[in-house]
Amino acid sequence: MADITTIREGLATNLGTISGLRAVAEIPDNPTPPIGIVNMESVEYDGALNGGLVTYNFVVTLIVGRAAERQMQRKLDSYCSPTGENSVKAAIESDKTLSGEVYDLRVERATSIGSITINDQTYLAAEFTVTVFA
Amino acid sequence: MAKYVVTANTVTLNGGTVSPNVARAELVLNSAEVDVTDFGSDGWTEVIGGLKSGTVSLDFHSDFGAGAVSALLEDLVGTIGTVTLIAGNGTAPSATTPRYTATVLINSFTPISGAVGDLSTFSVSFPTSGPVSYATA
Repeated sequence: MADITTIREGLATNLGTISGLRAVAEIPDNPTPPIGIVNMESVEYDGALNGGLVTYNFVVTLIVGRAAERQMQRKLDSYCSPTGENSVKAAIESDKTLSGEVYDLRVERATSIGSITINDQTYLAAEFTVTVFA
Repeated sequence: MAKYVVTANTVTLNGGTVSPNVARAELVLNSAEVDVTDFGSDGWTEVIGGLKSGTVSLDFHSDFGAGAVSALLEDLVGTIGTVTLIAGNGTAPSATTPRYTATVLINSFTPISGAVGDLSTFSVSFPTSGPVSYATA
């Protein structure tokens, strides 16, 4: 099975299929919205004998745009939708084996939907929890 | 060898390694209790060992890939198979990683199991047929 960097990059590749959204596998110094950033939250080892299953929990942080801008709320709505061309869930799950690198993955939920502050600017954002079985 | 945390016990089914799809493996050996209580038992029951039996219990992760565990078991229900289990996280039999070999009746298989969002798993419990052998080399 794949190493963590490959999984992280695979998730970013899937996320990057959303038109106009930049997806990165590593946290940038100055994120420019709209951007999706893949972060690893935890790893559960030994799900099966002989290392047969490792469960990775990722959080994809989506920064949509400045909260003051019109249309940003609607854009966030479309990113959080379970389906549609801007759906983060649909994009990440578009290739559930990451080109055969993992067994399966699932976008479980979107949380922390609201505003965050970066460099004194308020942005709309959301966090997507992704579980990867590898 | 001392106490150990289970991470890599080896499990094979009909000669093929299935360990990477096994989350739990258990072999239980039993002996029947035969009551031999009599008037000389001084008010206590007395028992001796009777026929021995065993059970192999395995928790699997479903996998329908070519040659994978679900595809393998699908065709084996109702047949006699051979399960080997190597304890102590071993891959070969030794004094500290003994290998148990059991002939079992593959009497169940659950091809579909799991709720939405769960990893698909299934459990089996096969009765042994005949003796269970034990090897350290």
